[in-house]
Amino acid sequence: MDILIIVNTIFTILTYATALFFLVAIVRAFFKTKNVQNALVYCIIMVPFVLRLLRLK
Amino acid sequence: MRNLNINTVKAIAVIIVAFCIGVSGYLFWEHRNFKEPIVVSEYITEVKKLSDYSDVVKGTANDSNVYIFDSGVEGGCMLIWGGTHAEEPAGVMAANLLVENLKVTQGKVIVITRENNSGSTVSRVGEAYPRFYNYQTPWGTKTWRFGDRHANPLDSWPDPEVYIHYPSGQTLANVDIRNTNRNWPGKANGLLTERTNYAVTQLIKAEGVDMTLDFHEAELEYTVENTIVVHEKGQAVAAMVSMMLTSQTFDVPIGMEFSPTALHGLSHREVGDHTDAASYLVEVAEPMLDRIRGITDEELLMSGKDVFVIKAGEHGLLYAPIDENGWPIDKRVARHVATATSIMEVNNTVNPNQTILIENIPSYEEMMNNGLGIYFHNPLGVSADRVYYD
Repeated sequence: MDILIIVNTIFTILTYATALFFLVAIVRAFFKTKNVQNALVYCIIMVPFVLRLLRLK
Repeated sequence: MRNLNINTVKAIAVIIVAFCIGVSGYLFWEHRNFKEPIVVSEYITEVKKLSDYSDVVKGTANDSNVYIFDSGVEGGCMLIWGGTHAEEPAGVMAANLLVENLKVTQGKVIVITRENNSGSTVSRVGEAYPRFYNYQTPWGTKTWRFGDRHANPLDSWPDPEVYIHYPSGQTLANVDIRNTNRNWPGKANGLLTERTNYAVTQLIKAEGVDMTLDFHEAELEYTVENTIVVHEKGQAVAAMVSMMLTSQTFDVPIGMEFSPTALHGLSHREVGDHTDAASYLVEVAEPMLDRIRGITDEELLMSGKDVFVIKAGEHGLLYAPIDENGWPIDKRVARHVATATSIMEVNNTVNPNQTILIENIPSYEEMMNNGLGIYFHNPLGVSADRVYYD
């Protein structure tokens, strides 16, 4: 496989790793927070990360 | 009590969000995985995959079907494709109509219905696009995926900060790395869309293609509208086609424009520059693409009627005429098919050694009078070996 395609594949994997990192961080913050408004916000903003990691959108 | 309350709220929120993810996830999954059946003409010679010409697209979303109609009689070869931009359905439907009906008696015609198939598996973010569009036929409803101008980010991501076109070195908008009409002639070791166009370029060279035609649609606010954009090699043919169709066939004239030499990546420029083929690109009006449109739904997509676009037309703000009849899909598809057949006919006289003779394709008047439904066939009404999926 060509080096450029390998590099691109690595970047693609890194973007998914980044999405996973932020999802874990959001879920962690969701469980830790005692603030109702923050909990709702965390819940909503995790949606695009879940959809991306499941390769749905 | 306070902990109980917050935990209850969290539980309810998680259930609601999980429900939303489940519903939207299913809709996204269904759109991404829906297969369009195509009943190939009984006169088809062969159906290949794009990866048969270059393995750089093998296993990707853009390893599209390549429908080949070879008469076996010496003559010219024309490659026609739709689906460069999946939000321009007339091109896909016109290519589909050709595949389902074409008979070639001299020369060879090759058709790709989904040149950037990946773009048809995602809709444009923030635009509330419909996922599918449908056409009523005598045997039932035929359905296509509606998509985006660019390849699906699930298939090609991330985009570079600056997209540098290969081989010109011209810098283009970064998102256009996923636009197959900005990275011709393609790059074997590039991103998905560059590899896709590289494979098509290999097809053009391997099959000895003399002419290429790229079906598009454009917003009425855009200057390049209802026209044939052509490489230097095809100017004589395009000029004659423009005059013939305008004077004899179309109610709205079709123009002819020279492919800009300094704007790179477009099929009408690069295919002509990097292969032996003369490259054509044809545009027709699609009001749904206009920024000033109203409700963005399948009705607007298929009828081409929008009160805001019509109002803009009344004020002379558009580059194409529009009235209360809009730009219905029948008319848009019929114009594309008629343009394709006219290019072949005129090229037969300009370049007799590239003669292509075809039959079984309806005329513009027939499509306008009969609708398109009778030209699409029931996949359940034919043998399975005539049904392919895009």
